[in-house]
Amino acid sequence: MTQLPRLSRAGHAAHCKRCLSGLPASQTDIDGSRLALAFYCIGSLDLLGIVEEQVSLQERNLWKQWLWEQQTHGKYGTGFRPSPFMTAQHISSKEQEQVESEYGSYDTPHIIMTYTALISLAILRDDFATLDRAGLLRFLSTCQREDGSFSTVPGSNESDLRTLYCAFAISSMLNDWSGVNVPRAISFINTCRTYEGGYGQSPFCEAQGGTTYIALASLKLASDAFGRTGYLTPSQQQETVQWLLRNQASSGGFCGRTGKDADACYCFWCGAALKILGAEDLVDSNALASFLGRCQFKYGGISKAPGENPDPYHTYLSLAALAMYPPHLSDTDDNARSWRLDALDPLLNAREETTLWIRRHIPVPSNGPS
Amino acid sequence: MPSKAAADTPLFAEREEWADVQPLEQYEGVNPIAPIFYSPEYKDATGYFRAIVQAGEKSARVLELTENIIRQNPAHYSAWCYRYETLLALLPPPAEDADAGAQPDIPPLLAAELALMDELAVTFLKTYQVWHHRRLLVPLARQPRRELAFIQRGLAVDAKNYHTWSYRQWLLAACYGRGAAADPAMPDAVLDEAAGVWAGELDFVDAALAQDVRNNSAWHHRFFVVYGARGQADSEAERARIFRRELIYTKQNIAIAPSNPSAWNYLRGVLRETNTPFAAVQDFARLYAYPHSADETRDVVDLDNPAPGADAELPCVQAMEFLADAWETEAGAEMWKSLANEHDTIRRQYWEHRIRDAHQTIKPAVE
Ligand SMILES: [Zn+2]
Repeated sequence: MTQLPRLSRAGHAAHCKRCLSGLPASQTDIDGSRLALAFYCIGSLDLLGIVEEQVSLQERNLWKQWLWEQQTHGKYGTGFRPSPFMTAQHISSKEQEQVESEYGSYDTPHIIMTYTALISLAILRDDFATLDRAGLLRFLSTCQREDGSFSTVPGSNESDLRTLYCAFAISSMLNDWSGVNVPRAISFINTCRTYEGGYGQSPFCEAQGGTTYIALASLKLASDAFGRTGYLTPSQQQETVQWLLRNQASSGGFCGRTGKDADACYCFWCGAALKILGAEDLVDSNALASFLGRCQFKYGGISKAPGENPDPYHTYLSLAALAMYPPHLSDTDDNARSWRLDALDPLLNAREETTLWIRRHIPVPSNGPS
Repeated sequence: MPSKAAADTPLFAEREEWADVQPLEQYEGVNPIAPIFYSPEYKDATGYFRAIVQAGEKSARVLELTENIIRQNPAHYSAWCYRYETLLALLPPPAEDADAGAQPDIPPLLAAELALMDELAVTFLKTYQVWHHRRLLVPLARQPRRELAFIQRGLAVDAKNYHTWSYRQWLLAACYGRGAAADPAMPDAVLDEAAGVWAGELDFVDAALAQDVRNNSAWHHRFFVVYGARGQADSEAERARIFRRELIYTKQNIAIAPSNPSAWNYLRGVLRETNTPFAAVQDFARLYAYPHSADETRDVVDLDNPAPGADAELPCVQAMEFLADAWETEAGAEMWKSLANEHDTIRRQYWEHRIRDAHQTIKPAVE
């Protein structure tokens, strides 16, 4: 039986709390994706099961307030911006009101931030009373491009599979797909498939673990919504499982592309993709945990590989991978309890209980709770 | 990341030529989550940027301002976007008498932008926005050959960079792919060079694999060049010639480095693309799927089935997996057993699953 160190839960929680309280100037490049970073931190606390017990009600309310402040309305519909990094502080309150009531052309919502905001708010058990659902659907439809893909912000040429997944996840959360042209989006996904059995980020790109997860999760969300199966043929499914499994290196970690070094985040991307394909029993979860155990940073947080610096992104995704692939340890092992995490929903990438909250509170109330 | 350039130049607030602009501070609501403790230089530049955006000014100094911000934060997508729009506003309109298909001259402003992008792309190799901006410049400059040369330099710095390879694939498909010929704005000169460019891509892959035969990005690029971007050749003879060429190429590279998953994945890809059963190359795979034997002979060079070197580590896991997939299910089971118990134990659960499955209905993915 594998000998594992402890999962240093308190250390990882402390790392995420430190980041939530502030980031040094060296991380200025997070400016345009701050909300996503907040999600990785809050999400880690959720996976560790300590949001309610270790974050005061007052603090949770302040977080919610800040998250809601990022929901903005305007000509392209409603969504969440990464942060107020492009929003000006006005001296007169009248001007300020103007800015807050409608975003400008360079301060628009961002589709990836919108997805991470909804999950973060669900983790904080928000009631979503102020969610502008109709505006959100309009935003999704303005982001969709001719080729079926979605741009990060309206009108941008930055578009790839990541944004398509966000559009699908948001539609699924709303239980309303009227904001997206599904067949067109699915044909875009299909053009990203490669001869290796994985999916690249855009048409013609090399197969990559992250975008393969994104593609498979999107197809599954759509098939769950429309009751259609068979987006993949059985032999395609087999090729994909084979390619994903081959990415588990002898170190136990997964690499993102054939022949690259293992990286903690791909333990989630490849692992979640395998779980979506129903192949989770084929993964060596003890080897995976032993790799992630070695990626733990001495003072908290998990890094992409042993000996590197930790960050919330790799911390969250490592914990999410462990929630799907708990190591099999004997009960007499003193460290066994430290590795136990609640189950994760691989499709929305949230703790199962958080997904339940989403299903109950984000759809339009009339066709919502049953 | 406070860059050196930003630290050496005076703040915008200290400059005469910016005195007419009233900077706008960033709005921070109640109790921000994960606030960034910005450097004074970043606060200064973004304050002026918010003011410029609000005023809608698109002048030469905006290029300086956005460059300053980008150097401090290359992921500032609004600065990139506004920079692009400012460029469009400042560039001279295309000459009226120009023939639609002609290669345009590059205005100095655009030339300067391209030069700057050459520098920034290498500094910020992993930032999405750098590459998206570059893509926007391609239709303005219409000089894809220049871009191909730039990418080559970029890959010399990082041979597996995902953004760099994606950009090359996008560029080739956009300028020399099927759609390009139908694009009335595409200069004739670009269309005329297509055949030569595609042929050159195979040499490009060769050079990359000569450096590192395990570079999967280069293998993927080869597949893109041969099958991905333009589909299969029209004539059957040509298709057969290409198929044979790809098989020999792959086998020779496997002979150099047998346990190279990229090459075996490529082999699988070529066979599937051409609807060829895996069993068609089983004689080759067999040479790699067993330990060295005492009666190995190396005198005969068989081009169709190049043998592993005497020092090759055999058996090779990829060859075993390939053979097991090629064979009828029962024969493969022995191979899977040996993978599960000895040669590839990390995937033990998978190989055992294949053995169980072999007794059921699902056939391997070979048909
Ligand atoms: Zn990573």
